[in-house]
Amino acid sequence: MRKIILVLFILMYGFTVQAQLTGYTPVTDIAKFKDQFAAIAKKTETIKSDFTQEKNLSMLSEKIVSKGKFWFKKDNLLRMEYNKPFEYLMILNKDNMYIKDGQKESRVSTKSNKLFQQINKITVDCVQGTVFSNPDFVTKVYENKGTYIVEMSPVGKALKEFFKTIDVVINKDDYEVSTIQMNENSGDNTIIHFTNRELNTPIPDAIFAVK
Amino acid sequence: MRYLLLSSCLFILTGCSSVYKNLQPATGDINSIEKFRPDFKSALYKAEIDVITHHLSGLLLIKTLPDSSIRMVFSNEMGIKFFDFEFRPGGGFKVFYIVKQMNKKPVIKTLKKDFELILLPDKNEQAAYLRKDDHSLYYIFPKQKGSFCYITNLDGTEMTTMEISSPHKPIVNAIMKNYINGIPDTIGISHKNFTFNIGLKRIER
Repeated sequence: MRKIILVLFILMYGFTVQAQLTGYTPVTDIAKFKDQFAAIAKKTETIKSDFTQEKNLSMLSEKIVSKGKFWFKKDNLLRMEYNKPFEYLMILNKDNMYIKDGQKESRVSTKSNKLFQQINKITVDCVQGTVFSNPDFVTKVYENKGTYIVEMSPVGKALKEFFKTIDVVINKDDYEVSTIQMNENSGDNTIIHFTNRELNTPIPDAIFAVK
Repeated sequence: MRYLLLSSCLFILTGCSSVYKNLQPATGDINSIEKFRPDFKSALYKAEIDVITHHLSGLLLIKTLPDSSIRMVFSNEMGIKFFDFEFRPGGGFKVFYIVKQMNKKPVIKTLKKDFELILLPDKNEQAAYLRKDDHSLYYIFPKQKGSFCYITNLDGTEMTTMEISSPHKPIVNAIMKNYINGIPDTIGISHKNFTFNIGLKRIER
């Protein structure tokens, strides 16, 4: 159930909010917050949406923007397809990951510990929501009038290497995740905004096929 | 003193030996290679790096900052950063960040040299010299060990290959093709002694 709640962080989104903790106060009733997510998790079978990803390089005053499409199907089926300004496809089908990068295709078992695949998996975990159940994170929840922010701080060395915090912004009205912001120690960050969501529309399994 | 003399002689002999020693002397302006120096104001490349058995793909941003330093930031498609290097005029180099798994001296040294090759050496390097054969001009820039060499056609209008050479043989081949507004569209770097290849294709933003 906890996993479902966590997956739901990703699966829900609605509008864009700046993921900054200024103006937010800690949520006191965490149990209630989790219960509400659990309720929504039960109802969510599929999600289809667009996404916009911004990589902000603070020292260079540069922003790299990429766009694509996102599909999720219960349980643990995920497809992220980047189509602008480059083409890149990533499919997570339970324990198997498929990546198509131009003409190059690769398949990886997420159970393996291969070095660079692990780096990719960190992002996949963030997108999928499985990072929420990762014991390497300390999680705090904040709120303002319209949104919650779940702030995840890595405890384990491996994740600390990549992230200072990961902030997940959630719409209070419908508990939809609008934004995931991954903050690096350098001050750079990567922000993924989800838009045009379609909830519980039929998605064939073939979309997630790891050929 | 004898050892000093002996080591000096060896140094001179080693310094003189070169993979390019059989080429003919050529006249011309060594600094004319400057026209092939990429003008990386801000360029984004789709990047693929193969290191031994590992394949990394992602985006490489190359940007010249107001102080003339050049930054190279490589991250995967999903935003995870692999490295952030700075190349300063005069040969300075700084690692702002490199992912732990790549943070090994030989890896950093190799990447540094490879990228220095495509950035081209500073103007007016005193030791640089020009050579030719029947087909090509060779712009040779001696380094502490070996040299950087830029090979053009005899007119010097087209750069065909870049090389990093040990004192005995070329060990890295590289190309930069299809310049648009001073920025190459395609860059390829390939090591001969082991699998370490870098492929860059420019992305329009």
